[in-house]
Amino acid sequence: MAVDAPRAASPGEAAPGHAAEPLLRTRGLTIRFGGLTALNNVDFSVAREEIRAVIGPNGAGKSTFFNCLTGVLRPTSGAILFGGADITGLPPDKISQRGIARSYQITNILPNATTLENVRIAAQSRRHSWSLLSHYRAYRDIIEKSEAALDSVGLLPKAYELAANLSHGEQRTLEIAIALATEPLLLCLDEPTAGMSAAETQQTMMLVRSIAKHLTILIVEHDMQVVMELAQRVTVFHYGAVLAEGSPAEIQQNKSVMDVYLKA
Amino acid sequence: MSRRRFFVYWVGFAVIVALLAVAPLVLPEFWRRFLTEILIWGLLAMSSDILIGYTGMVSFGHSAFFGLGMYGAAAALLGSSPPNLWLALLYGLASAAAVAAFVAYFSTRLRDIYFAITTLIFSQIFYVVIFTSTAWTGGENGLNFSRPRFAIPYLFSLRFTPAVLHWFVLAIVALSYLLLRRITHSPFGMVLQSIRENEARTRAIGYAVERYKIVAVMLSGVFAGLAGVLYALQNQFAAPDFVFFVVSGEVVIYNVVGGIGTLVGPVVGAAFFLLLREAFSRFFTEFYLIPLGVIFIAIVIFMPRGLLGFARRWLNG
Repeated sequence: MAVDAPRAASPGEAAPGHAAEPLLRTRGLTIRFGGLTALNNVDFSVAREEIRAVIGPNGAGKSTFFNCLTGVLRPTSGAILFGGADITGLPPDKISQRGIARSYQITNILPNATTLENVRIAAQSRRHSWSLLSHYRAYRDIIEKSEAALDSVGLLPKAYELAANLSHGEQRTLEIAIALATEPLLLCLDEPTAGMSAAETQQTMMLVRSIAKHLTILIVEHDMQVVMELAQRVTVFHYGAVLAEGSPAEIQQNKSVMDVYLKA
Repeated sequence: MSRRRFFVYWVGFAVIVALLAVAPLVLPEFWRRFLTEILIWGLLAMSSDILIGYTGMVSFGHSAFFGLGMYGAAAALLGSSPPNLWLALLYGLASAAAVAAFVAYFSTRLRDIYFAITTLIFSQIFYVVIFTSTAWTGGENGLNFSRPRFAIPYLFSLRFTPAVLHWFVLAIVALSYLLLRRITHSPFGMVLQSIRENEARTRAIGYAVERYKIVAVMLSGVFAGLAGVLYALQNQFAAPDFVFFVVSGEVVIYNVVGGIGTLVGPVVGAAFFLLLREAFSRFFTEFYLIPLGVIFIAIVIFMPRGLLGFARRWLNG
């Protein structure tokens, strides 16, 4: 597939003069709900294998931005380019097939299915999903892939428990495993540590760091400690526009960012 | 499924099929006929369980698929001489599939109650079309035809005696059940259940939900059409009453009474409902709907998972 090809070349080795093509880029992304401009002319780009944090006060447009990227909302104007291809206005399933996965701010799983089934159905979305006459357990490759995804987040011991019976923190982690099972190139995490205990937050940070070795991560987060420790770069949203962008240290020093957060 | 449960399941299945197969040899004609009809209504209810129980879409339009299967079979039986069984099956299934594709294309864009209403409206449109196209369908009077022979060229040719017809219906219903059961456990079936549990999430992990829903409606419609063909064979007529939405409503009731999402439940529901109606109409004459309604309400309140769900919980202690 076209999206796989550029991945093989590491971004650091790009030839001089060929600035590494960003994995994701938005140009003038704007979305209006009636009179309200939720996103205003957002130009944004993320390099391959970067961990980027998106922060901003409540209502700054972070979740709206995620919803645009993943096809839940259709932008009023502007373009979204992923791996060089225009994905503006594609439905969520096509965007998922292109390689963007997301986890949700509010836990969004199949509560009446087992942990394994939650992940297996995601893994199955890439192949065999139109098979009608074979038993789903006959596809060992899918099950092995799902078990690997569960193992990578530490949920394998709970594979056969109902997802509804997992703790809140485990359900949040399951969200990540479901996203991973779709083999994304870009993973969008919407407040992955929301409602977690300090210990669970630490575990999740380690988890994000370990999966970041293989893919690009976009993370919306309120916990500044998480942002500062995880992210290589930080983008600050305010009133639907990009207010500042830079390394965590730069953002901490930024005058306008401090104003926004002190006012909030 | 554990080995023991696997064993119990297949023994149970074999025993039930064997009992149903022996039944026409011992039952008087009235009850033989009654049992055959329970199987046919059971198949119709089972087909709608694919939508109600597995995909979470309540169809109030199954009478259209059932009716088109019936009229398709009628067209084949009246149009061919001598009437041919396989042609009746082919015409019936093809008409039901065509109508299901049409209904599915439009109705799957909507969800929940809007889907239900759309299917109901479509089935009423087909009812009116059938009712008014007197030249083709016989209108209000319906169509009468004779039964074909049960024949495979050069192999055998049997007359459809009541017992042979019963076995034929039993074989088709049992095979349909096994096929539908396999489909509900297939990767495709798991996608349907994922849609039922969380449609937005299913879309977000990469499934084009609408396409799966369209196939689900068509699949369900084809099996409903199959039930329609069997009904036409059994009763030797096709009538517009069977396309009327009341039939769709009864199918939903069979599902709810028997237990949705189980395939067997709707068959149990159909048997229970039809037997009760038969018994009550003898004792209460024209007031039979009153006790029937009371029992239905009691089941919904006290057995929200239907008869089968209740029995399962009771058996498991």
